[in-house]
Amino acid sequence: MRLRLLSLPLALSLALPAAACSTPGGGSGGAGDGTVKTGGTVVFALSDEPDVLDPTLANTFVARVVFTSFCEKLYDADDKLNLVPQLAAELPKVSADALTVTIPLRKGVTFNDGTPFDAEAVKISLDRHRTLKGSARVKELAAVKTVTALDPATVQITLSRPFSPLGAQLADRAGLIMSPTALKKLGDKFGTSPVCVGPFKFESRTSGSEIRFTKSTNYYDADKVHLSGVTYRIVSDPNVRAANLQSGDVQAAERLAPTDALQLKSNPDVTLRDISAIGYQGLSINVGNVAGTAAPAGRVNTPLGRSPQLREALELSLDRDAMNKVVFAGQNAVDCLPLPLQSRFRPADAKCTPYDPERARQIVEASGEKLPIPVNLLVPARPADQKLAEVIQSMAKKVGFDVRIRQSEFVSSLAAARAGDFDAFLIGWSGRIDPDGNLGDLVGTGGSNNFGGLSDPAFDDLIKRGAQASDDAERQKIYTEALARNAQLRSIIYLYHERWFLGLSSKLTGVVYPGDGIARFKTAAFTG
Amino acid sequence: MGQFILRRSLASLIVLFLASIMVFLGIRALPGDPALVLAGESPDAATIAAIREQFGLDAPLPVQYANYVAQTFQGNLGISTKDRIPVADILVERLPVTLELTSLAILVGLAIGVSAGIASAVRRGRSTDYVATGLGLFGLSVPHFWLGLIAILVFAVKLRVLPASGFVGLGEDPVENVRRMVLPALVLGTGLSAVIMRQTRSALLGQLSADYVRTARSKGLSRSREIRHGLRNSLTTVVTVLGLQLGALISGAVVTEQIFVIPGFGKLTVDAVLSRNYPVIQGAVLVTVTGYVVVNLLVDITYAYLNPRLRLSGASE
Amino acid sequence: MSNPFNPPTIAGAAEAGSPEAAVLEPARRWRRLRQRFLRRRMAIIGLAFVLLFLLLALMGPLVAGDPSEQHFDAVLQGPSFAHPMGTDDLGRDVFARIAGGARVSLLAGVCSTALAMLVGVPVGLVAGFYRGWVDPIIMRLNDVMLAFPFLIFAVGLAAILGASLRNVIIALAVAQFPAVLRIARGEALMLREQDFLAGAIADGTRDAAIIARYVLPNSLNALIVQATVAIPAAIIGEATLSFLGLGVQPPTPSWGVMLTHAQPYLAQAPLLALFPGLAIALVTLGFNLLGDGLRDVLDPRSGR
Repeated sequence: MRLRLLSLPLALSLALPAAACSTPGGGSGGAGDGTVKTGGTVVFALSDEPDVLDPTLANTFVARVVFTSFCEKLYDADDKLNLVPQLAAELPKVSADALTVTIPLRKGVTFNDGTPFDAEAVKISLDRHRTLKGSARVKELAAVKTVTALDPATVQITLSRPFSPLGAQLADRAGLIMSPTALKKLGDKFGTSPVCVGPFKFESRTSGSEIRFTKSTNYYDADKVHLSGVTYRIVSDPNVRAANLQSGDVQAAERLAPTDALQLKSNPDVTLRDISAIGYQGLSINVGNVAGTAAPAGRVNTPLGRSPQLREALELSLDRDAMNKVVFAGQNAVDCLPLPLQSRFRPADAKCTPYDPERARQIVEASGEKLPIPVNLLVPARPADQKLAEVIQSMAKKVGFDVRIRQSEFVSSLAAARAGDFDAFLIGWSGRIDPDGNLGDLVGTGGSNNFGGLSDPAFDDLIKRGAQASDDAERQKIYTEALARNAQLRSIIYLYHERWFLGLSSKLTGVVYPGDGIARFKTAAFTG
Repeated sequence: MGQFILRRSLASLIVLFLASIMVFLGIRALPGDPALVLAGESPDAATIAAIREQFGLDAPLPVQYANYVAQTFQGNLGISTKDRIPVADILVERLPVTLELTSLAILVGLAIGVSAGIASAVRRGRSTDYVATGLGLFGLSVPHFWLGLIAILVFAVKLRVLPASGFVGLGEDPVENVRRMVLPALVLGTGLSAVIMRQTRSALLGQLSADYVRTARSKGLSRSREIRHGLRNSLTTVVTVLGLQLGALISGAVVTEQIFVIPGFGKLTVDAVLSRNYPVIQGAVLVTVTGYVVVNLLVDITYAYLNPRLRLSGASE
Repeated sequence: MSNPFNPPTIAGAAEAGSPEAAVLEPARRWRRLRQRFLRRRMAIIGLAFVLLFLLLALMGPLVAGDPSEQHFDAVLQGPSFAHPMGTDDLGRDVFARIAGGARVSLLAGVCSTALAMLVGVPVGLVAGFYRGWVDPIIMRLNDVMLAFPFLIFAVGLAAILGASLRNVIIALAVAQFPAVLRIARGEALMLREQDFLAGAIADGTRDAAIIARYVLPNSLNALIVQATVAIPAAIIGEATLSFLGLGVQPPTPSWGVMLTHAQPYLAQAPLLALFPGLAIALVTLGFNLLGDGLRDVLDPRSGR
């Protein structure tokens, strides 16, 4: 039993990239198919309502999904989360002191309004990201000192400190480039009618309902675009997304529920794709959040907060496989690291704390605490989270923890977590392709999502070194050490990575579904 | 009559004013700072401060309220903090959806409720009465979200005759629109039809046993004319019930919209509360309350028109 | 029309003075009421449903077992001898959860109604008794509460106070408050005009005493009838709030929560959604039948 538990995440992490390799680009081969038709609009069932479609202000995951259709970035990520140039012509060139980054740009590109794409446009966008009032990109580009257009096809960025994750940031929202003409016209209302470089251009948005895009004639790669448009329809209930896909109301649907996905597998009208999401789910434990995440960490006087041994006992009591089986139909990938399974920075020999209720029980009994040990578990009120919390409650009870669930509507639960009003908090992270984005802000001292208030100078130092090192092998070594230290401190018990299912009409081909879990329709087409 | 209308309108305005203060303060008592929600996954102090300033959330509460009232009177309901679309545009998009849903539900409620009510009153004590009364009680007792789930299970999952959910605009594809509205309207209308059925039945029974009807009967009034006569006098009851049920209908629409994923007013408001979208909550609740107040004002006036005695007493019920 | 024990509820009914009799002969009054009630078969059936669920709520864990015990090797099972209603997605016994849910349901229904009465009745009686400047103020505030969409209020309250049974009860009580207030006010307004009250007022009896001794007892029947309407509505309210994730905290079972969790398995295990829904429908039906019967007995003119 224990052996299987240990080997499952490792086996998955090995198998996944291999599987991805065998279908390059997540199966984008359809474009060359003789039966491909030109035209047609794909209706895509989106899992949530995006916020403003302004690259500088947008915050939601679903906005990222929508951006892929009409707004390209300097870089993109492939299946193994490696950087590939998109609007940039090559990977960034970093100077010897790691303080200057030069980015050559793609030539002959125009924005969807006909404005030429050049270094000046990139500078305007990056500067807007860094300085616009209320910009959500400020932190992501905090290391950037200046942006200069060296010539129309070259941008130079100077940094105030060495910062390796810059490339990854430019492959995310901070790398989205906006049309300077549209920016001049719309200013901070850019999001009401956004214009970028992309296979499709923004047509209209109906609040709470749908966002429409039509094929762009200005796109540099227009001959690869077969569809005449993409419509993103907001369908927040996963069961409804599956039902709409089955009934043909939509031709594509993201993030299907595992139970629905298993049923859809036998449906000939639907093809399924899946990836292991780059985010993780975890159990944050309050170890030092005494006066809010913004205040300095202190000592939390609860049994779990005081004792790393008890935190270990809690982890020992959790049967991740059983959790996965009953709550997610066994479809998620259990894991005990914050890094995506696809990440090349994962330590080669990661070992999880095994499920061992007897040992957990021994530790709890030896702790000298009054039994059962109370744990105030904060849970966002979402059905899957609630179910997971109930499973955790019953597992922990068997070894002597009295887990009391306090579920609260999502924003309230975040507010309570920031205030330090919890012993344990069931919360995940949407994930970043660079390891720094999955550690620094979440377990580093003063991190804005460091709900547990962990503050460990040795660990902080490792994170800092990891962000500054530029050599991949060296970074992996540093992160291996950092992850070991993190596991020891155990302010987050990592549980699993979600498996995301993308359902497509079997008439649809050429859809790309890479490791970041965002479906791309650039090369998609209907077949005859 | 004119004075009555004036007095009732004034009272309605006061209600609106008090409601606006209640909403304004209520949403600000919600935990979770809207600026924090907007600042994204990794919020920092500077961004939060900038957002707060941008949406005027840094001003003292009385100033914020004064600004809000001043803007509202200029017809400016503010900008949605989530997607930065003007609130007025959002409301104009979403309102017709809920209006359609609730109108259809009222239609269902009236059609079933009034006819079942008449049938059971006329055939009092016979099997028709028992069946209608029984169904009426059942309709009252079943939570409509459960009815919604069962309807989806039967019609969409098992029989596959109607779509499970989703919405298509009336202007976009009227046939598809109606197909998608059938289940939600039936579900929402069921509870209402039960209430209307019971009220129609008891009002009509009361009328049929009233003295003047008995007198008319003794003078040889035919049964059908007698019923028609009684029915006309029972209408005020139905009108009043409809007015009073409006609140329940709006709450019901919230749940129905959630289950059938209809982008209506209820879903808009709940989503706005959950994402601390102050301007949208304020706008949506203001419109809902105004709707409720106006409908009840009309009900009162209709009632006073039908029952002149009420005008004199000025009772607000 | 000649029932001396039924206080007048409609203005103009000429039975003033008789309520004194109610105070004098409670035993006889009860006997008469009981006889009239027992003649109504539907009301008896309603009472039986209510008592059945009450029994289930009280004895739940004894007869049905632990509602939160999970068995991962026995999830989503159909009804069997060991599990008469099958098991849910975490392998818990559905019957045990239905029994546990009965407790939450009845608590929420009864307590919220009681709370609404506790606050609404005095306020309503005072408003109706004094009229003057108090009445319009209270009535306008009441109109605001009536106009406010209840569910939005409940969502907000759950966000402010956190989701819990206590807060559900508060939210439901606030939702019922305007109706209770209206009825109490109407009763006081009407009773004030009655001769026996006018006499007491003229005697110089203290207002508080008049309200407590005459107005309240004579409003009781109308209030009891209101309660039988309000309790089932509150039960459905609790289920709705729990369905939206704003109700009781897990692992406490609630029928609404059970329905939320049944939703993803609608196609696979439809029984999971059937049982909690039926439970809600039956207990509500029970209260409604009982209420109809009580209304006929206590307040024949207000109802059917």
